[in-house]
Amino acid sequence: MRSRDGNNYRSLAICSVILFNSLVLNASEYLISYRYVVKDAILYNESLQISHAMKSCIGKPISFIELSHNGANNLAGIIDENSVEFINFIQKLGLHIEHKEFTLNAQNSSTTILTLKTRCFKVDFNDNFARISPLK
Amino acid sequence: MKYSLLLVALLSASSIMAETTQVVEPVASETKVTVVCPPDQTIEINELEGKIKILETQLGEVVQKAQKQESVLAKNQSILISVIGQGVAPMNTLSPAQAYALAKRAAVADAYRLVAEKVKGVRVDGQDVIKNMMVKRSTVRTSVNAMIRNANVVETTFKEGLCEVEMEITIAHSQFAQ
Repeated sequence: MRSRDGNNYRSLAICSVILFNSLVLNASEYLISYRYVVKDAILYNESLQISHAMKSCIGKPISFIELSHNGANNLAGIIDENSVEFINFIQKLGLHIEHKEFTLNAQNSSTTILTLKTRCFKVDFNDNFARISPLK
Repeated sequence: MKYSLLLVALLSASSIMAETTQVVEPVASETKVTVVCPPDQTIEINELEGKIKILETQLGEVVQKAQKQESVLAKNQSILISVIGQGVAPMNTLSPAQAYALAKRAAVADAYRLVAEKVKGVRVDGQDVIKNMMVKRSTVRTSVNAMIRNANVVETTFKEGLCEVEMEITIAHSQFAQ
């Protein structure tokens, strides 16, 4: 179809630029850390910290997880909807284990801390899902 | 007088008899027991001794093989470590599903700790205070520090508030070297 100004390529180019920019700009980088504490075999505290990266991260995506969402427009909301899948995914990436056990006169108490140290993730937002991939 | 002479004679005779009698002590003699078997039975005993020797050598070879297999993780080989972690749900949960989720999280942490203990080892510090030959205070501190990657949860069971998670990890020789 011919445009009103007579140049059909220019409008196509503008559309493609807008489409490309929308796809590229939707890909952003986040810093995520995860930590949970188990005391005497009972979960004591769990925290998942998510933050926008203030400067660009160095590295390439190594693996990814796709999380579906129903209208959540930020990463925290999407992860909150799919917390079990995401936590299973980040556990595979590697957890630092710090365990301390204290026995006083045959009475035992223990504390285990599992930590995913702060790591940069590249997140691609799409209509119905978000693709999260850690950078290395 | 006659009676006194007779008495003296009897006394002297009795003293002479006492000198001549000797106390005979029993002497322990060595005894030798010889078992004489019929010729058929001696052949059977020899056969049994031979069999025992063969079995002993076979047992030794099996033990040596087992020691070789267990002691060294050869290059280009991997080892599968499997553990079962346990976790308990807290008392104040809103629903059974929440109890399950929390207990599973605790069990996963326990499983990770067990894997770390096997792979990296445990640091143990102990201290006993003894006063007047009695233990006054006994303390044991253990700690584990490790980094675990690519561990897989194989099976999860939840029964009567206790969650058990079976976790497996495959470690290659090159990873152990790190």
